[in-house]
Amino acid sequence: MAEPHHHVIIGSGSAGFGAAKTLREGDPDCRITMFTMDAIPFYHRYRLPEVFRGRTDWRDLLAKPPSFYEENGITLRRRCRVVDVDGSAHVVSLAHQETVPFDSLLVAAGGRAYLPENLSGHAHLIHGFGSFEAAMRVYNDLPRGGRVVMIGGDMIGLDLLLTLLDTGYRVTLIVNAQTFWPHELTAEQRAPLLEALRGKGVDVIENARAVGISPQNGGAPARRVALDDGREIEGDVVMAFCGLATSVEFMLRAEVDIERGLLVSPELQTTNDAIWAAGDICQIWHDGEKAYKFYHGWKNVRVMGQLAARNILGAHEPFDVDVEDRIWVDEDGEIQSTFWTRKP
Amino acid sequence: MNKSGTDIQFAICGSAGDGTIASGDIMKRAAAAMGFHVIAFDVYPPEIRGFGKCISRIRISSEQAYSLKEQSDVFVSLNDGHAIPHVGEVRDYGAVIYDDHLIAPVAEGGHISAHIRPAQIPYGLPIRQISEQATNAARSRNIVVLGYVAGLLDLPAEAFRKVIAQKFASKPAVVTESNIRAFDAGLEAGRGVFRYDDVAVGAAPTAADGEAVMMTGNGAIVRGFLEGGIQSYFGYPITPATSIMERLAVELPKAGGRFLQTEDEIAAISATIGAGFAGSRAATATSGPGLALMTEMMGLGVMAEVPAVVVCSQRGGPSTGLPTKTEQSDLNLAVHGGSGDAPRIVIAPTNVEGCYRCAGMAFEIAEKYQVPVVLLIDLYLSNRYETVFPSDKNVFAPKPREVPKVKEGEDYKRFVLTEDGISPRALPGDAGMMYTATGLEHNELGKPSDVLHMEMNAKRHHKLKSAVNYPGLTTSKRFGDMGKVDVGILGWGSTFGEILETMFEAQAEGISCSAMKVVMLSPLPEGELRAFFDDCKVVLVPELNYQGQFANLVSGAIGRPVVRLNRTIATPMPVAEILSEVRRLAAEVNEPVAAAAGGV
Repeated sequence: MAEPHHHVIIGSGSAGFGAAKTLREGDPDCRITMFTMDAIPFYHRYRLPEVFRGRTDWRDLLAKPPSFYEENGITLRRRCRVVDVDGSAHVVSLAHQETVPFDSLLVAAGGRAYLPENLSGHAHLIHGFGSFEAAMRVYNDLPRGGRVVMIGGDMIGLDLLLTLLDTGYRVTLIVNAQTFWPHELTAEQRAPLLEALRGKGVDVIENARAVGISPQNGGAPARRVALDDGREIEGDVVMAFCGLATSVEFMLRAEVDIERGLLVSPELQTTNDAIWAAGDICQIWHDGEKAYKFYHGWKNVRVMGQLAARNILGAHEPFDVDVEDRIWVDEDGEIQSTFWTRKP
Repeated sequence: MNKSGTDIQFAICGSAGDGTIASGDIMKRAAAAMGFHVIAFDVYPPEIRGFGKCISRIRISSEQAYSLKEQSDVFVSLNDGHAIPHVGEVRDYGAVIYDDHLIAPVAEGGHISAHIRPAQIPYGLPIRQISEQATNAARSRNIVVLGYVAGLLDLPAEAFRKVIAQKFASKPAVVTESNIRAFDAGLEAGRGVFRYDDVAVGAAPTAADGEAVMMTGNGAIVRGFLEGGIQSYFGYPITPATSIMERLAVELPKAGGRFLQTEDEIAAISATIGAGFAGSRAATATSGPGLALMTEMMGLGVMAEVPAVVVCSQRGGPSTGLPTKTEQSDLNLAVHGGSGDAPRIVIAPTNVEGCYRCAGMAFEIAEKYQVPVVLLIDLYLSNRYETVFPSDKNVFAPKPREVPKVKEGEDYKRFVLTEDGISPRALPGDAGMMYTATGLEHNELGKPSDVLHMEMNAKRHHKLKSAVNYPGLTTSKRFGDMGKVDVGILGWGSTFGEILETMFEAQAEGISCSAMKVVMLSPLPEGELRAFFDDCKVVLVPELNYQGQFANLVSGAIGRPVVRLNRTIATPMPVAEILSEVRRLAAEVNEPVAAAAGGV
C-alpha cells in the first residue's frame, strides 16, 4: 500500500490552521503535520487584548480544543523551530536535529513584530504582544491603571490601545510611519483618526521620534522614553507596534524566489512545485499591477490558508479577495477598519 | 484522595546510567524535607548498566496518598527512545520536559516533541548544553532537569541543595559543588519560563507528626527488623529482596548481630531455622523462586515449632519469570507451600509504614506462636518509597523471654498439648530442658511417634487461631462507608493502595462503597471477613495474579462468592480498571431485574 501523501505546514496561525482543516476535509487519508514555535494550539491573536478583560486562561482563546487535532488526524508539533527546508529533497529540518520529509509544504509562518532599527538596542526594555505569553507578561507587569507608552500603533496595537482605555489604563501614543499599518494613510487622512484617539484620552505625540528607552526603579514608572526633540516621557510598559516583518532565512535552500517575503503565484504556489505559502509571509503576484504584494489582515490571511490548501489538493483558484483598504471614524467616534473587526 | 492542596506526580525517564533514579531520589527526599507526603516507585531494567529503561515516579501530596497516580503531572525525558512510549501517561495540561538540542540527527518521530499530545504542554530546553556549561560534562543532565523543575514550579531550591549535598557527602567536595552548579543552572533556566500547564504546588503541611523519613518497603523492613531485635540474618540475593540483605550486611553487625550470605536459598532458610531453634531472632528474605526452594525447611520449622521470619517479595512468575516486575502470585506458595499440613503465619503489609510495623513485630509473633512467619510483599512495595513517621522510641523492643518451669523429677515436654496449642519453649542450654527436635512427627516430649499425629496437627493449627487478634497488629481493617453498602472491595498487599484510591473516587461519584484490607493471610480473620461480606451486596477482589489466589483463599475459607479482577500486567493495578468494575457492579446491584434481563 502506498504511503499517504504527507502535507507539512509551517505555522499554526490563522492561515496554517485554516489550511490544515481544509486539507483534512479534502483528503481524509493524507498525513498532516504542523510545526509551530508556540506552546499551545491555534488561538486568535486578535483576541489577545481580552486578557485585560480578565480572560487570562489561554484555553478560553483557543479556536478549537486540543482534541480537535487528534480527532482530525492533524499532528501538531509545538515548540518546534524549522531551520531549513531542502527544496529538492523535500525535507524540513528542525532546530533539535530532526528531519521530516514532505510531499507538499505550506509555509504559513507569518511575520514577527517589526522594530525600527534605532530601537533595536532597547528591545529588552520593550514588551511584545505577539503571543499569549507576551500578552500575559504585559498584563502582569502593568500596574492597575498604569500607563503604556506605545510606539507606532499599527492596527494590532490600536486594538490593544482601545482595550487598555476601556479597562482603566492610560496610553501615550508616539506616532510614526507605521501608525495605523497596514493602512497606508496621508497626514490628512490620519488627522481625524488621531483626533478621535485624543478624544478617548490618549496622549498623542506627533512629530517626535523615540530614540532611547531606559529602565527606572525606586517607585517611578518602570520605563523612561527619550524623544529626539529632547522630551522624556514615562510609562510602566513600553510597547512597539510598527507592523510586521517576515523571517524567511530558513527558506534559503528551498529553491523558491524570495524578495521581502516568499514570492508566490496567484494560486499561492512558490517557484518550487511542492511548496506553497500563505499569510503574512508571502507576496502574491498581482497581474494588474505587475507586482508582488503583501496582503495583511486576518481576513486576507484566513482566506489564503484555505485557498492554498485547495490548490495543494489540485484546484487552480487564484487569490482575488484583497479586502478593501479603508479606515474611518464612525458617527459614534469609533475608529473602524476594513482590516480589523474590533470585538466589544 | 486529595480534594485540595498539592497532589502532583513527577516522573523522570531515562536510560540506565543517565542518573534517572538518582534524580528521582533527590526529588522525593527534597519533597519529604519540604513536609509533603511522598509515595514513589522506581522501575529498573533487568539489563546491565548502559542499557534498558529506568523510570522514577514520585507522587507529592499535602494529604496522605495511597498509590501512585496513573497519570503524571510533570514528565521529564532524559532519553527520548525510552520516554516516548510513556508520554501518553502525562495528563492533559501537564508538563513534558525534554532536551531540544540533540547531539545527533534523528529521523521523523525520533524526538519526543513528535509525541506530545496537543493538550500536553511542551517545555524544551538544552539540557545537555546547560549541564556542559555548568559542569564541563553532560552527566549532570539529571540534576539540571531537577533545577529546571524547581524553577518552573517555584519549589524551594534550598531543600534540593541540601539533599544533593547529603547524597554526595561521601564523595569529594568537588562532586557536590558540581552538582549544585548543575542544579542552579537548571533552576535559572526554569525560573521565568512562562507556564501554560496547570500544575499547582501549594504550601506543604505545616504540622507533621514527628520527623518524616523516606523509606522503601525493603528499607522499612530492615528498620523494623533492627528495632524488633533481629540477631541473625542469612540470605542469598534475589530481586527484589536483595536490598534487605545489602542493608542488613551493613547494619546488623553494627547492632551486634550476625550476617551471613549463604550459597543458596536452601542454606539460608536452613541457617535461619537453625538459629531460631537456638533462640536467635533470625530472618531471611527472598522472592518466589527462593521461597519455592525454602518450603521444605519451612515445613521443618512448622513441625519442630521453630520461630523464624521469612520475607518474600513477589515478582512476576513462575520460574525466573519477570524479575523486575511486580506481581502477587506467590500467595498460594506462602500460605500453602510445602508438604503436609503445614500452617504458618503469613502477614502481607499494604504500605511502607505497614512493612515497618509488621517487620518490627514479626519476631515477637514468631516466638509467641513458635512458627515461621512469612512477610509477603511484592516488588512494588519493596521498591516504592513513602514518607513514614516512625516513633521516637523503639516500640518493638524484644520482651524478656519466659523460661519454662518444670517440676522436679518431671521431663520437659517441649510439645505439650495445651488449651491454646502453645507449648512453653525452652532453648538449647536451658538447664534440665533437653528435648528432641526433628522433622518427624513426635509425641509431647519430641520423640518420634505417630500416636499423636492427629492431636499434633490440631495443635499446630489451633495455636495460630489467636494470631488474628495479635495485640498492636492490624490484621484487617475496613475503610469508607460503614454498614450496608452496594460494593465492597477486598484487597491485600500493595494493591490495597489502588483499592483505597478507587474507593475514594467511587464515593465521590456517589457509589455506596467500602474497602477492606486483609493483612493477615494465614490464619485469615474470618470473622471480620464474614461481617464485611454480610454488609456488601457484592465483593470485588482485585489482585495481581492470574488465578485469583486471594479470592480463592477467602471464598474457600468462608464460602462466599466474590467477583474477581485478576491482572498480570507487570505493573500495579490501574485504579481506572478497578473503578470501572466498581461502577459496573454498583449499577448491576441496583438494577437486578434489568441486569438479569440483559443477561438473558
